[in-house]
Amino acid sequence: MNAGLVPTGREPVGRVDGDGGLGNIALVAKREYAERVRSRAFVFSTLLLAGLAVVIALIPLAVRFVDQVTVTRIGVVAPDDKLGERAIAVMDGFLNAQLESGAPATKRFVFEARPDVGTASTEVREGGLAGAVLIDRKADGGLDFQVLSVGALSQDRAQLLQIGAFAVGILDWTATQPPTDRPFVPPAFAVVDAGAVDSGTGAVGGATIDTAEYASRRIVGIVFVVLSFLTLVFYGLWVAAGVVAEKATRVMELLISAATAEQLVVGKILGIGLAGLTQVSLVLAPALLSLLLSGEIGDALLGEDPAAGTSLAGLSPGLVAAFLVYFVLGFSLYAALYAGAGSLLSRAEDLQIVALPLSIPAIAGYLPAVLALSGGSSSFIRIASYVPIWSPFVMLSRLSIGRVEAWELALSIGLLLVTVPLVTWLAIRVYRAGVLLYGQPPTLGTFVRAIRG
Amino acid sequence: MTLVVDHLYKRFGTVAALDDLAFEVPPGQVFGFLGANGAGKTTTMRIALGVLDADAGRVTWRGTESHRLPRATWGYLPEERGLYPRMRVIEQLVFFGGLHGVPADRARREAMSWLRRFRAEDLAIRKAEQLSKGNQQKVQFIAAVLHDPPVLLLDEPFTGLDPVNVMLLREAFLELRDRGRTVVFSTHQMEVAEALCESVAIVDRGRMVVGGRLRDVKRSTGRRMVRISVADDHRLTWLAAVPGTRIIQAGMDRSSVELDPGVEPEAVLAAAVAAGARVLHFEVADPSLEQVFIDHVGHPVEEVGHLAPAEAEEAEGGTAAEGGTATEGGAAGDGAAAVDAA
Repeated sequence: MNAGLVPTGREPVGRVDGDGGLGNIALVAKREYAERVRSRAFVFSTLLLAGLAVVIALIPLAVRFVDQVTVTRIGVVAPDDKLGERAIAVMDGFLNAQLESGAPATKRFVFEARPDVGTASTEVREGGLAGAVLIDRKADGGLDFQVLSVGALSQDRAQLLQIGAFAVGILDWTATQPPTDRPFVPPAFAVVDAGAVDSGTGAVGGATIDTAEYASRRIVGIVFVVLSFLTLVFYGLWVAAGVVAEKATRVMELLISAATAEQLVVGKILGIGLAGLTQVSLVLAPALLSLLLSGEIGDALLGEDPAAGTSLAGLSPGLVAAFLVYFVLGFSLYAALYAGAGSLLSRAEDLQIVALPLSIPAIAGYLPAVLALSGGSSSFIRIASYVPIWSPFVMLSRLSIGRVEAWELALSIGLLLVTVPLVTWLAIRVYRAGVLLYGQPPTLGTFVRAIRG
Repeated sequence: MTLVVDHLYKRFGTVAALDDLAFEVPPGQVFGFLGANGAGKTTTMRIALGVLDADAGRVTWRGTESHRLPRATWGYLPEERGLYPRMRVIEQLVFFGGLHGVPADRARREAMSWLRRFRAEDLAIRKAEQLSKGNQQKVQFIAAVLHDPPVLLLDEPFTGLDPVNVMLLREAFLELRDRGRTVVFSTHQMEVAEALCESVAIVDRGRMVVGGRLRDVKRSTGRRMVRISVADDHRLTWLAAVPGTRIIQAGMDRSSVELDPGVEPEAVLAAAVAAGARVLHFEVADPSLEQVFIDHVGHPVEEVGHLAPAEAEEAEGGTAAEGGTATEGGAAGDGAAAVDAA
């Protein structure tokens, strides 16, 4: 045999001093990242999601546009008919008179009396009314206004209603017989989410919401929650599918002899996670840009409206940071679960065996997160915002709405920080045993045996 | 200074995969690890690699326990072949080289050099899914040797290769040995082992059956073989007079006769002379490794119940095709006593 054909080295060229810990993690991560980012699924889903996010980001603009040409029907509930009639007359005169110098000949507001809070709030929830003004007489004779709506009235609508309420308050004060000696106090005014009304008793509960930020916060929150839910579940599934594919093609045999289970699991999570983060950035960047510019776009298209505030009011740097923290921790948690589960499968067809059980807890966290976005704050939502598999969604949406104590945030992140390494460690153990197992789809016993090693 | 498999035990459920398996591989040799499917060859390699843990016992290389050794000590060709289907061959090789600590540019050079050597340079930019099975196997072998490990563990490296590639792979083995690398390969094809190995270990159901230098192993049964050439007679009818003999290969030119332990080769020669046969050539040789295996294990290596029909057929085909080469290699390599009686 021609010795000249022997490949070069006479000395061992491989590493003999260590086991290439971080280097191998980086190599695995790099390969995973390149494979994902180059895939057709990545390109298409990025384009699709980015388009979707831009559309969502531009919703406030659309709302403002629709607002300009529609009539807002408002129900009025007053403690007595006389006050109700007077309030309707005043607000109708005030709010619609304002526009007489303006272009539209139609009324912007139509006020209608409703007998009680229950009826009004039902109609608001069902969409028959855009909102309901609830007038209450306080013990000292002054008036208390609450505006009930689902979601939020646009900011300028809410402001106009507040002006109307102020007018009603003044007229009521002057009309009181006999004239009281109490000084005029501007009536209290608050916007309340109709979802928070207990329709049984008609009592209005829940915290008040600042309309100025409300719409924007919800939109930012929806974008974040939906995006992190989709990314965590889809990329988690990608991790499992990647592990299964490596087993099914038997390339695992080479991998496991070249790198440790720790390196393979951590590298895979890192690489696919970075691909996920890349996609999230590509999806969010145009959406944020649209949000930033929507004021200008709106002014250019719809004319200046000083009452329309900036749509970015809900997007604080703190929220972006929280999104990143929860995304990274949440992804690590889900990816580790998916990696461990995937390692027990032998064929791609078996993926559904783990896909469903793992996406159920994710969905179970996603739903309260969406509930929390519409102002719900039941104890279930609060507890869900601490539970590691749910907190990445639920706490994010609570933060978007903006009512979270510092200790709650610390507890929630702290629990994740403890859970992630623990679950990763378990996943590595399962993976180490699982990747060499071929055959039957896994049972619970397989998991237990794999963990016990 | 050797690879030592030190009394390994491993159970999978109720099945004892390894049962006190022990042998030593001298460094710088080509070593055959022989046994039927399910004998425990793959399990032993996985324990050596640190991928599996033994229930008891250990594997050491130059005195260091395997799980303390860097993974780059080993070059592993798994029995289950597999590559990333959508990745280009050269990228895969650079990736696996990188996992073993070879810098990318160097890995690229080594990979191309090996591909040239296997007459497969054009595979470099192809995706693995486009390759034939034999070519995938070559690529996997390159992935195992790219980092030039001191020990190669190759699980059934010859299965599924065409004769040209079998030759290329054998040459690679011998050169790696000449460069001081230790090559351990498992096989159930005895004739391949016979042609390549200096030492072998035969295992059956997780137990060591016999091991050591090839010549010693072949003589371990006490059985011997003669090759005889008789003018104008290839049926050797007179052989019936000698009990304990069996013609295993009858030929016009030369026939091979196997002797049970205790039967002296001279008895065969005496019977031939007594029958008036004109003996042209008479040679005493060691039995084939295949025969040694059967004597020790009790059944031929291919006779394994769980083999798929196609696989079993393939294994048998291989035996028939390479029988000649193997016996000749055995005779020449082991310095059989030859008597030319003309």
